[in-house]
This record gives sequence, C-alpha cells and structure tokens, in this order.
Amino acid sequence: MNPLYIGTAERRLFGLYEPAAPSRGRPRAAVLCYPWGSEYIYAHRSMRQLAARLSTAGYHTLRFDYFGTGDSSGDAAQTDLVGSDSDAEAAIEALKDIAGTPKVALIGLRVGANIAVHVASRHPAEIDALVLWDPIVSGEQYARSLQEPSAADSDNELGANMLRDLRAIDLRSDLEVLPERALMLVTERLPAHEQLRGISIEFLTAPCPWIESITTSGALPVPVIQRIEEWLR
Amino acid sequence: MAAVDITYKEQAVLLGRNALVGIVTRPPATHQKDEPAIVILNTGIVHRVGHHRMYVSLARALAKSGRTVVRFDFSGIGDSKPRSDSSSPLTASLADIREVLDSLEKTHHVHSFILVGLCSGADHAVLYGHTDPRVVGLVLMDPTLPPTLRYYLYYVMQRLRNVRNWISVATGRSGLLRLMSAHLKNSVRPSTELAGLTLQNLQFSSYLVRCYRGAAARGVRMLSVFTSVSVRHTYKQQMLDAFPEASAGGKLRLEFFPDSDHLFSGEKERARLLAVIADWLDSR
Repeated sequence: MNPLYIGTAERRLFGLYEPAAPSRGRPRAAVLCYPWGSEYIYAHRSMRQLAARLSTAGYHTLRFDYFGTGDSSGDAAQTDLVGSDSDAEAAIEALKDIAGTPKVALIGLRVGANIAVHVASRHPAEIDALVLWDPIVSGEQYARSLQEPSAADSDNELGANMLRDLRAIDLRSDLEVLPERALMLVTERLPAHEQLRGISIEFLTAPCPWIESITTSGALPVPVIQRIEEWLR
Repeated sequence: MAAVDITYKEQAVLLGRNALVGIVTRPPATHQKDEPAIVILNTGIVHRVGHHRMYVSLARALAKSGRTVVRFDFSGIGDSKPRSDSSSPLTASLADIREVLDSLEKTHHVHSFILVGLCSGADHAVLYGHTDPRVVGLVLMDPTLPPTLRYYLYYVMQRLRNVRNWISVATGRSGLLRLMSAHLKNSVRPSTELAGLTLQNLQFSSYLVRCYRGAAARGVRMLSVFTSVSVRHTYKQQMLDAFPEASAGGKLRLEFFPDSDHLFSGEKERARLLAVIADWLDSR
C-alpha cells in the first residue's frame, strides 16, 4: 500500500497505489472511482477490499479522492462533475506511468461509475475494460434523495455546481459511446434499468456497501468483488 | 481553477511498525507553534477523513493556526492493514496509538500530544491517554459515560412520554431493562483491568473510572463535548457525577451542543465545534 499524491499543484489529489502481486503475464492496471459524499465514506471499506483483491490477481490498482473530497485538496463547495472527470483522467495517466501499461481497466461505484463512463467515452484507446457498479441512472432522482431531510449529505456538502451536475446525470445517453469491453453490475434493481441499452447488465444479490447500516453491520459485497475479478481475467 | 491554500502542508505517511496510513497536516515552518501535536483518532469504522470530512477540515484549520495535526487509520480500519498478531481490537488500537506517537516523535520531533476522538475515538483517547506522559490533553466528543442514578431518572422521564416505551417494558424489550441488567451484572464483576475489556462493556467498567482518575491526577487537560442524542448521556452534569475527579483543578471543560446530532452533521455545528476546540487549545 503506497499513499501518494497525483494531479497538479492547484488540484492535488490523494491516492493509494497497490502494486500487482508478481505474475507471469503482462502487467495490468485498474483505476477505481469512488462514490461521492456520504456514499464515499461508507463504501471506502469495500473499495479497499476490491483493490486488494485485484492486486492479488495481478492488477496494479490506484484509488484516489476527487478534488474537494477525502484527503485531496480543495473544499466540497469547489467541486463539480467535470472536475471529477478530469481527476479520473489524472489518475489514469498516473497509473499508466507507475505500472508501465498503455491501458487501464476503469471501475466505478455509484457516481464513480458515471464518472468512469464519461472518461471512458472520451479516451476509448486508454481503457481496456469498463465496470459500472450500481451507477446513478437518473441524476434528478439521486439529487433529490441527497436533499431529503434524512439524507446524510447536507446542502452545504453538495455545493451548488456539484448539485447542478448531479441533477443532469442521464446514464441512458451516456452509454452511447463505450469501450468494447464494458459491464454493468447492479445490486439495487430499478425499473429504469430495463430501458438501458448498449451494455451488458448483470443483476447480483449482494449488500449495497454505500449504505451506512450495511457497512456498520460488517457486510461486504463479496459476490460483486468476485464477479469483477472474474470478468476482468 | 481553484487556488491552492499555501497556509498548510499535507504529507501522506506510513506510521509505526505496522505502516498505519496517516496524513500529517502542518503549518509552514515559519508559522509553526511550539505546541503539542494534535492526533485525531478514527470514529468507529470510518476512515481518517471522518464523517462529513470533519477531521480534514479540523486538521487544516488547526494547521493554519500553527499546529501540527495527524490523522491516521487504526490497524484494520480505513487503509491500514490488520495486525498479524492475535491482539483484541481494543488492545490493538491502543498499541497503534503508542506506535504512532513513537513514530511521530522520531520523524516529526514532537514530544507531547493532544488526542482527539468522537464516540469510540474518545474512548480510545482516554483509555490510552491516562498513562502515557506524552499525552497532555484530550478532546472527547460523546465519550462513554457510566450511567448514574440521575441518568436513569432522566432516561425514564424522557421515555415515559411515549406509549411505545410502556409497551416495550411490558413485553420485556425495554432498552432500560437491558441497560439495568447489564449494569447489575457488571457491578457484581467489575472490570478493573484492561484485559477482557471491550468498547461494548466499557460503560460499566471500573477501569474507565480509573482512566479518568489517572488522567486527572496527571494533570491532563480535557475538553468534553456532548451532543443532544448520545444514548449514554441524559443530562449536562453527568460527566461530573460519573468522574468527580476529572474536574478537579479546573482541568476539565464541558461543552454542550443541544442542536447537534452525534455526527455533527450540520455545518453550523461543525463550525462551532471547531471554534470551541481552537479556543480550548488557545486557553492554556
């Protein structure tokens, strides 16, 4: 486990690099894109487990905090989705340099999956596999849920620009340009999933790690982590 | 593009024998005060960032005022690996704190510390801090308090207002009954040693009283902050009743946040918390 900083002096991002376990095959690499807000806090443990599993399977992995989140520089009020997309691009460049690979697999959970789609569609030549784990299908609905009085993310944590960008998420249109190898894993099935085209969708029974009660119960989404490793092989 | 704040510096570090993942936030050398370093402990299983990123904000704000602040993950929490030995979670966490302070002494040349924690973090702070002479201060947010007689009275008064609680008592599912039963059981076999202690049975442990007494006897300054919804706390003076020695010599300051939830979810409450901590640190 190597904590490091990537990005620029103006946009310094905290990351955790885990080298691949020695293997005889060619080096492979995976960038993991976290969820956002309180979902980031609660999903952290599962993302760490996923990174450890992929590292053992021969993947150099990099997890990183978007600008204005986690241990990265900046404040939540300064965040927006375009900026987070550029942070994922910086992480891809950094991991390609560290691992010495021309391409990386990109894996995102929740909003992280939406960010992964944006980046993959812009840089198809650099992404050899894309995994979307319970992406946000409707931004409008997601933003509403964040603003409910019971939600863990208060308004001040959202920031006006991020809230605007989250509202505008429309997964259906984002799926129009995808890398050749792409998979969507869904544990929280919604009617909206039936309308998605252009990507293979698998429905799995597993805990939703971005939910506080699931994480504090100690449950891990083992079937999802196993499936990601198996599919990337 | 947002301008980077140059009034503090952050460094990712691996601390101690178990390479615990941490972040050191410091002021520029020219602004560094000769003050104890602040060490922030995990809340439950949440990693060093804290709920609502509150420990990042706290660390950066305190560093801007000239202090060195360290946030790290206990072994098995956040990004730190679990220990390979067979230590209990509590023993492992206390050993982690010792190793982190040892490491910071060597690498950052700081020799006195103030431990900061919320909930389980507060409990770890006092369980460790009462003996190590390098710990000179404790900031305890919603720490575990033993139930006093007055605690039970308030508990009952609060719950009498709700019919559902009457039904729970009648059906034997009352939280109060469970609490009193645990209290009685632990009164018969009080735990006065760390061995066998867990954060779950800490509330009734004589060892906890010993820790507060020990910290007070060493002259450790304490700031205790209580929110409105801590289940272990029903009235303002409970800490003084539970640990009368802790307030001796004017070393204890109590602060109440009646409008805050346990995780300081409101921005105003987090801002007030930061102001209270900064004021306490400055009022030596």
